[in-house]
Amino acid sequence: MGTALIQILVFPGLLFLAVAGLAGEFIDRRLYARFQNRMGPPWFQPLADFIKLLSKEELVPDGADRGLFRLMPVFALTAVVTAFFYIPLWGTSALHAFSGDAIVVLYLLTIPTFTYFLGGYTSKSVYALLGSARTLTQLYAYEVPLFLAVLGPCLLAGTWSLSELTLFFQARPWALAANAAGFVIALIALLGKLEKVPFDIPEAETEIVGGAFTEYSGRFLAWFRLSFDIEMITGASLLAAVFLPFGLGLGFAAGFGLYLVKILFLIALIALIRSLVARLRIDQMIGFCWKVLAPVAFLQVIVNLVLKGIFFS
Amino acid sequence: MGAIQRIVQWSRVKSPWVIHFNSGACNGCDIEIVASLTPRYDLERFGVLLKGTPRHADVLLASGPVTRQIEDRLLRIYEQMAEPKFVVAVGTCACTGGVFQGLYNVKGGIDRILPVSAYIPGCPVTPNAIIDGVVKLLASLENPPKKASAG
Repeated sequence: MGTALIQILVFPGLLFLAVAGLAGEFIDRRLYARFQNRMGPPWFQPLADFIKLLSKEELVPDGADRGLFRLMPVFALTAVVTAFFYIPLWGTSALHAFSGDAIVVLYLLTIPTFTYFLGGYTSKSVYALLGSARTLTQLYAYEVPLFLAVLGPCLLAGTWSLSELTLFFQARPWALAANAAGFVIALIALLGKLEKVPFDIPEAETEIVGGAFTEYSGRFLAWFRLSFDIEMITGASLLAAVFLPFGLGLGFAAGFGLYLVKILFLIALIALIRSLVARLRIDQMIGFCWKVLAPVAFLQVIVNLVLKGIFFS
Repeated sequence: MGAIQRIVQWSRVKSPWVIHFNSGACNGCDIEIVASLTPRYDLERFGVLLKGTPRHADVLLASGPVTRQIEDRLLRIYEQMAEPKFVVAVGTCACTGGVFQGLYNVKGGIDRILPVSAYIPGCPVTPNAIIDGVVKLLASLENPPKKASAG
């Protein structure tokens, strides 16, 4: 009981994830600034933002469902932290693993998007409503390619458990090369999930002021921002576990270092893409996801099935 | 001042999010405000971020004299901001009404309507002056100026 509480609240639970998320946000913002040839924020910036938002007045708009409005940030945070426990990080087994946890992780990572939608929907603001409608529209575009991209390696390994998946690839590292296309697809879909440029259509500041979070202030906004940061870490951990599962048998210290390097690499990729491209329109985004990403993801699944038939049957 | 209050104060000084509102300016100051947020001046160094919605913002950068038509809107935007909030009057017109003072449709400077924390004069203000003004406002939060003795 005591160790379970420490695991949930301190390491590798809430506290570790909060620190990692804030550090991840800093690295993302700093790299983005350096790519734009400017200094960027100091290292404590995400922490200062977080504390300031915690200490600010929180306003609930008239006509909003008070319970729903207040609960949604907590739901988002809970879902992303829970998903983290089922992902193998520096060993070949996750903290909690069972057959089928890959589906559970993907499902838990969908919940935050729905909380953004519900939170925006109940704010009774036109901008928030537009933002939440865009959030859901975008969800239907990137979710299918993401699921298909993760399905490929799972089919190859013949398991729905992330821990067994990493064991399989640990034994046959060359099989990872077959999933290179899947990695790119999953990374692009993750950009959509995190609402980063070029898929920041739901919160497009220059068009619809703040998207689904237009009416959020104070503590609730702080929880939402933290859940975004932790979602970045969780999503990057998922990609690292599914597509980059090498060097997992090194023990805690070296394994943990390698895990941090993988996460840093993925965050740097996200920052690079963010500074390279501009925002797409919602129809362009959906067209791209369904006409390019989904067919390539299907192709990836077929390739994996053929490989499985040839080598692992 | 307790430790927690000190941390909160520090976080407020380090993370001012601004919202930009044109209360009837000729657009000169607005262009300079937008220019000061470009990578060239890099206001993110001080934690300044431009926010689209008043709910997220701490500092209201208001430019221009208050016209009778904009008065209600300006008040409404101010009311929508979460406490603690600050108003910065950007430009000579925002400080006093400038050349528009005394017009039938102009109320005067921002301080006729809202409590103003910092005045940045200039026609138009340069980005350097805006940054200087915001940094001075933040410094005054850290070390509040002593109240002038009566008399």
